[in-house]
Amino acid sequence: MSEVPVFFLHGLAYAGLLFLVSAGLTLVFGMMNVLNFAHAAMYMLGAYFSFTLLRATGQFWLCLLVCPLFLFIIGALVERFLLRRVHTYGHLHELLLTFGLAYIMTELVKLIWGNFPLAVNIGGFLGQTVEFFGMIYPIYRIFIFGCAVIVGLSMAAILYKTRLGIILRAAVNDSEMVNALGFDVPLVFTGVFAFGAALSGLAGVIAGPLLTTYPGMAHEILIDAFVVIVVGGFGSLGGAVVASLLIGELQSFGVLLFPKLSLALVYLLMAAVLIIKPSGLFGEKQ
Amino acid sequence: MTSQKKASYLFIALIFALGVLMPFMIKRYHLNMLTEIIVFALYAVSYNLLLGYAGLLSFGHAMFFGMGAFTVAVSLIHIPGLSMWNAVLLALAMTTVVGFITGGFLLRHKGAYFALLTLAFNSLFYAVATKWHKITGGDDGLSITRPDLNLGFTTIKMADLTNFYYVTLVVIGVAIVFSWYFTKTAMGQTVLLMRENEERMKFLGYNTNISRLILFTFTGALAGLAGAFYTLHFQFVSQSAISVDMTTTVLLMTFVGGTGTFWGPILGAFVYIILQNYLSDITDRWPLFMGLIFIVMVLVIPGGLSQIILSIRRLIPGKRNTDRPVAAEEASP
Repeated sequence: MSEVPVFFLHGLAYAGLLFLVSAGLTLVFGMMNVLNFAHAAMYMLGAYFSFTLLRATGQFWLCLLVCPLFLFIIGALVERFLLRRVHTYGHLHELLLTFGLAYIMTELVKLIWGNFPLAVNIGGFLGQTVEFFGMIYPIYRIFIFGCAVIVGLSMAAILYKTRLGIILRAAVNDSEMVNALGFDVPLVFTGVFAFGAALSGLAGVIAGPLLTTYPGMAHEILIDAFVVIVVGGFGSLGGAVVASLLIGELQSFGVLLFPKLSLALVYLLMAAVLIIKPSGLFGEKQ
Repeated sequence: MTSQKKASYLFIALIFALGVLMPFMIKRYHLNMLTEIIVFALYAVSYNLLLGYAGLLSFGHAMFFGMGAFTVAVSLIHIPGLSMWNAVLLALAMTTVVGFITGGFLLRHKGAYFALLTLAFNSLFYAVATKWHKITGGDDGLSITRPDLNLGFTTIKMADLTNFYYVTLVVIGVAIVFSWYFTKTAMGQTVLLMRENEERMKFLGYNTNISRLILFTFTGALAGLAGAFYTLHFQFVSQSAISVDMTTTVLLMTFVGGTGTFWGPILGAFVYIILQNYLSDITDRWPLFMGLIFIVMVLVIPGGLSQIILSIRRLIPGKRNTDRPVAAEEASP
């Protein structure tokens, strides 16, 4: 089976993308207890912004920098002016609000960019292929995995090695006490939500050249990202890493081995995990 | 029987009478729309029993709706000479079984976890409906013809819209009234109390898990019935009936109508279908306006349209409305 290494690498690339999407989702959920349905829509916005910027400037590296910044601002505005207002009504309303936002973002994308797929060509160094161990493989897919590793490591470093990380983790446990100690907890939450949005934007930029940019892309990845955080355990960064790898590889080899079943395999994995360990692989007991 | 209950029965009778008169008063096009509204009203009522009464936010209600819709279509195609009743009964049986089994898995979780899991289950069903081309028709969907209704002494031609409208009105109407009656029974009240204080209910000796599973199965069967009539109404079903969008639709209807009352979602279905029909005539981007309306509702009137009606009614002196469950937002932890 000479395809196996290639499919393994394909799986890694998709796992990287999945991790980038689900890391922001699980971070926001873990910190703020908000399940952000608009997360995937923000990812799609990132992809579309990047498409336009790339067409205007031709600089992919610029997109990687600017688009997450856009999404950071959008995320901050959403948290400050919409989400915070419904916070007092409870989680149901927060969830419904992000849900409505996803709806609107999807429709806006269709309105502005049209309801058809757009192809993104990056060209340059990333668009080339590399040869190793007798295989020819696109550099871009390796680049995706690299990005995911860098983002994951820096998130872990921030959360567990810095003062900001301590404040963040404390705010989850007892936000009132942290507030009383003189830290601006609402600002911290705005920051977390905006950071999550920026991450989704980054994932969107990266997804553009790998997958097609079209209005259904949000929904497509949303379900996979949800499965990742269910399997990994809600709010667990380590769980997101393991589950992304599992599902990325499962998707990839599923296409190779059982082409007809590949869609259902992911859900079967989820069902199996839930039966054996309902809180997810790395989740704490509810 | 209290005077309030009497008033409710009177109200139901009035609505039925109005429904019976409708075919004489409105055009064919509108009668078609009204049939659709009635079907979706049951779907919304079943959803509200979960969301408003039990406080369970599900993103997978379409799996029951779609299961009912597909069961009718598939059985009518593959079993020659099957009567409409048996097809509908088959759909009810299927959704009851599926509701019971999936409920066993899903109800181990609450809140956002439950919402996510239902979404994933719905996606699984959707994937099956899309891929299992031989049975479900995949992207092409399935077309059926409504079989005529045999009442024993006479046969009713179902091809006629007015006849089908009356059958829908009676069957769905009875199902809705039955759901209303269900909320008044001890079982229905248990669900409400469970949402308010589950610990206390457990302490009082209620098995809350079983009550919740019964409710979940019941709402699944109701949604399945709605789905069955959806297929019979359009004489067509495709995988969109089981898609997450179908859950979105019912969520919007329920939320627009208001989760705080039993009748709110029916009003929501009414407003939603009419809005959708007129907006889609004007613009292709009607979901955008739906989304905007939704956001404004969440921000400004979280209780939905029924909240507005109730507050108007409260302004009228001497009228007090106590016939409502506590609004859903007070229940979520």
